[in-house]
Amino acid sequence: MTAQALTRARLTRVPGVAVALILLCVVFAAANPGFASPANIANILTQSTILLMLALPMTLIIMTEGLDLSIGAVLTLASIALAMTAISTGSPALGLLAALGVGACFGLANGVLVAVFDIPPFITTLGTLGIAQGLSLVVTDGQSVVGIPRSIELIYSGSLAGIPYPILFAALAYLVTHVLLYRTRFGTYVFALGGNREALKVAGISVRGMLIRVYMFGGLMAGFAALLLTARLNSAHPTAGIGMEFDSIAAIAVGGTSFERGNGWLFGTLLGVVTIGVLRNGLNLMAVPSSTQVACIGALVILALFIDGLRGEA
Amino acid sequence: MSTTAIPRSARNRFAMSGDVMQMLYRVLALLLLGAVLTALSDVFFTTGNILNVLRQAALLFLMASGLTLVILAAGLDLSIGANVALSGCFAASVIKLTGSPWLGAGVGIGCGAAIGMANGVLVTALRIPSFVATYGMMWILTGVTYYYMGGETIHGFPPGFRQLGSGHLFGIPVPVYVMFVFLAIGVFFAQRTIWGQQIYAIGANPVAARLSGVPVERRLILVYVVSGAVAGLASLIVLARINSAQGDIGEELTLPAIAAVLVGGTSLFGGSGTVGGTLIGALLLTLVLNGMNLLQINSSWQPLATGIIILLAVWIDTRTRRIGE
Amino acid sequence: MGGGKPAASRRECGASPWGIERVSSVPVLELRGISKEFPGVKALNDVSFAIDAGEVHMLVGENGAGKSTLMKILCGAYRADRGTFFHKGQEVAMHGPADARKFGVAVIFQEFTLVPYLDIAQNIFLGREFSSTLPGLIDRSRIHAEAKRVLDSIGFDIDPRTPVHKLGVAQQQMVEIAKALSQNARILVMDEPTAALSDRETELLFAMIERLKRDGVGIIYISHRLSEVFALGDRITVMRDGRRIASLLPGETTPDKLVTLMVGREVDATYTRPDRPLPGKVVLEVKNLSATTGFSDVSLTVRAGEIVGLCGLVGSGRTEVARAIFGADRASAGEIRLNGEPIGSSPEDSVRRAVALIPESRKAQGLALARSVGDNIVLAGLRKLFPSRIYIPRRATKAARSVIDKLRIATPSPRRPVSALSGGNQQKVVIGKWLNANAQFYIFDEPTRGIDVGAKAEIFRLIDNLVHNGAGVLMISSEQIEIVHICDRAYVMRAGRIAGELSRDELTEANIVRLGMHQ
Repeated sequence: MTAQALTRARLTRVPGVAVALILLCVVFAAANPGFASPANIANILTQSTILLMLALPMTLIIMTEGLDLSIGAVLTLASIALAMTAISTGSPALGLLAALGVGACFGLANGVLVAVFDIPPFITTLGTLGIAQGLSLVVTDGQSVVGIPRSIELIYSGSLAGIPYPILFAALAYLVTHVLLYRTRFGTYVFALGGNREALKVAGISVRGMLIRVYMFGGLMAGFAALLLTARLNSAHPTAGIGMEFDSIAAIAVGGTSFERGNGWLFGTLLGVVTIGVLRNGLNLMAVPSSTQVACIGALVILALFIDGLRGEA
Repeated sequence: MSTTAIPRSARNRFAMSGDVMQMLYRVLALLLLGAVLTALSDVFFTTGNILNVLRQAALLFLMASGLTLVILAAGLDLSIGANVALSGCFAASVIKLTGSPWLGAGVGIGCGAAIGMANGVLVTALRIPSFVATYGMMWILTGVTYYYMGGETIHGFPPGFRQLGSGHLFGIPVPVYVMFVFLAIGVFFAQRTIWGQQIYAIGANPVAARLSGVPVERRLILVYVVSGAVAGLASLIVLARINSAQGDIGEELTLPAIAAVLVGGTSLFGGSGTVGGTLIGALLLTLVLNGMNLLQINSSWQPLATGIIILLAVWIDTRTRRIGE
Repeated sequence: MGGGKPAASRRECGASPWGIERVSSVPVLELRGISKEFPGVKALNDVSFAIDAGEVHMLVGENGAGKSTLMKILCGAYRADRGTFFHKGQEVAMHGPADARKFGVAVIFQEFTLVPYLDIAQNIFLGREFSSTLPGLIDRSRIHAEAKRVLDSIGFDIDPRTPVHKLGVAQQQMVEIAKALSQNARILVMDEPTAALSDRETELLFAMIERLKRDGVGIIYISHRLSEVFALGDRITVMRDGRRIASLLPGETTPDKLVTLMVGREVDATYTRPDRPLPGKVVLEVKNLSATTGFSDVSLTVRAGEIVGLCGLVGSGRTEVARAIFGADRASAGEIRLNGEPIGSSPEDSVRRAVALIPESRKAQGLALARSVGDNIVLAGLRKLFPSRIYIPRRATKAARSVIDKLRIATPSPRRPVSALSGGNQQKVVIGKWLNANAQFYIFDEPTRGIDVGAKAEIFRLIDNLVHNGAGVLMISSEQIEIVHICDRAYVMRAGRIAGELSRDELTEANIVRLGMHQ
């Protein structure tokens, strides 16, 4: 990076993640002729959709100075619930309901533990992560759940007017979250939860109720994302969603939402998700193993936090 | 002595020997659990099983002892499991390459300490909250480990080295001796050095500690380095026991180590707790997990049980703090 | 509080309880005979206060005179122990914030209740957003339009879509005021509103206040700036020691008379200043010290065996100077020397050089509440007590006991958690920490805050002993009477600078107050 670009990235929020994204695209396109093909780009976007659906509610949670480490595990458990229900009842709709139920339960648990029992969010969600993971393993006995109804599988592979369904889903999720955050009372109060909780108390709004609702939003989105995950894998596996919470936090950090002060930038999260997607795809094409990819993402996050810290002092 | 009149009823109620009382309760719980398990399972109170429990608890305690210092200073280290993996794999390579267990041990511990130093720098210099920094570090280390190992396993260490993990001395597994050594070192460091006192103060109130002349940043880095080095040492024991090294060793140790520290009475918010308590916590936790195994409960329930235990311990901790304030 | 007998207008009452002729109608809000006690201290004693529509009523008095307590009762945050409330002449109940809001009382807090990343309009209407026709959504344009209306009414010309974190302190204050007005506030309480404002911003605030007056809003204005008090006030009430001392028209008095009313009190006889030996050589020398934390070009000296006061209003920079001397904050310019050698790089270094800081907030900054009395006492002296770095509990207990005895700290054992001690004893622990570390130079920041009278005298005696044994002391206090009694001389700070130095003969409360306030 030239000194100029670094200064620019350091001074303003917007170019930071966009610069990173463009840079990565350039580097990967140069290293890999296949990278810039339309098929591959569509691939990147489609594969990023699940992560986006987790990162959107996570952005809100982080804005309230909280964290949800369990969202990946809840995603996994929800997808298992979806698969098992869909198979046994034959109805994908009931399956989705089961997935949403799981998500809502864990969202409620997280919210209550944080808001009512005053347990710090990272410990709470670390605990519920363990619980969700444990349940996933127990219920499936470590085996994949197969035999998913075909209609579900189509959700991932099908398309409408040339646009793959997952992208439509993700766009819808983004739209809903955007409206929620910027055009409803709920969203306004989310800003206040992180920025100045006193203001809510003075205005007579229940801080506890808000916190619970924010975590439940996360759980429900995980439930919806489970539909995409199950469709993509055409099965449900107890270790499927592991690590996605890390990717989502990384996407948010890279996207510019800081961990404090109640500020969140939804579009930044979107860019961050695409950046992570590009990074993974590019590294895949270079045959870099998955866990090393994670190491790269981790390094990217630390860099992002470091620059964020510099920006804060500037 | 004091010349002011304090009502006799209040005199000893909140004396700090409350620490000893807490320890007693936990030992009682331990004995109770042991009794329950003996009743529920014929296999529990056999020599083989007890030795197994001790060996497991020793390893867990080792991991948790360094972590105790970090948590006493109001920090957290989520990377210890991944630390074990990377340090262990490096150590394994060195042992295979040079044939020298000592060199391997040095590398393992050194690597662990270096990781700890990195954690410390992230927390003090970059001001990243400890749970975020060590969480990110955990993923980075895992990635590096997998990259380094390339999915392969390293087999076969010199028999002398293997004694460390699977050997016995007078019928007792070697790791148990290591455990006692570290218990002594840990208790000594925490209770009998001024650095230990400073760490307690940092956990209780870092601002007051700093304004009392405690070099807060240096001590924080110290506890993370110690936690990392101890994880490096633990990796050696793991290597010695399973006689191999691969990318995912130690993964299953992080959550139970945290649980052991919290169950042992150390507060997540820093400033109170003991290394001795962590030992009891490690024993308690190992008994719980061992009991689950003996009762044929699916091992997949274990992370779940650990998670619930952690939540319970933190909740009790928050309640006790509330009463104290 | 009996039935609703309306307060007769003062004209009909004949002799006015206020001592002044008022021809206006019944006040919007009136408090009579308000008393409030907290454990150990009588905060308000039979105070009466009234605010008329369209008037600016100045409330002056020293720190601790009872102004904030009175205002907290006015807005329903506290409940009065005794007294009655009248709204437009009718007796009413005041049970809590909801009642106060009903009567149109709004307080402009010093810590703003604004959400930084929401815009001005969203902040104004937080919790009262307008719904749009689409279910669940809020009508952003209407919120912005209404906000613009309120902002215009106070003469604040700004785009309501500006995020609050981009605003300066003065502008944020205006938003707070707009927020209050949008909730139909008819009485505004402002606590030192110009404290953080520039001259230009102050002018704008005054213009806005004029506007509000014309609209019939009553303003209760707490201030230490005498120029403001006389420029803006329609009425001035002086409080002291929890009592209302006088209510005057600005035309009837002068700044000097006001100061006299504010500080005049009986002399506290429980502490008498002992004779002190002449001060020794210079221990602390500060030259042209500045820091971004809030002070510039500060110079002072302290000799061994003397107690030097550092006075001034809250916010004048005293604590910041103390912290910079101790090394807790970095200075940007100037030098600090202890016994001729530079100092101030870090607290660790200061402790090594035998400098002590007794911070402003003992619970937040001075004590590790989860630890025992003994642990706290030995903390600063660990290196000196245990040169081998091995900690021996017996030695620590002995050292702690000796400090406990010397300072007469009321605790049955050094092992008691320090959180269980009373405020005075906790402060003794903080001081005791430094006895143990053999400090030779002490910086005290509000050493007797929140401590009852008996314990105060003891603390003064402690400080006396310290200088008697050759230590140097720099003492920050907002209680002028303390400074006058205990200090050998004092520096007065004002708005981040040294306004003046007072020698022993010049050291009177009136002089301190005069130097510390804006003229």
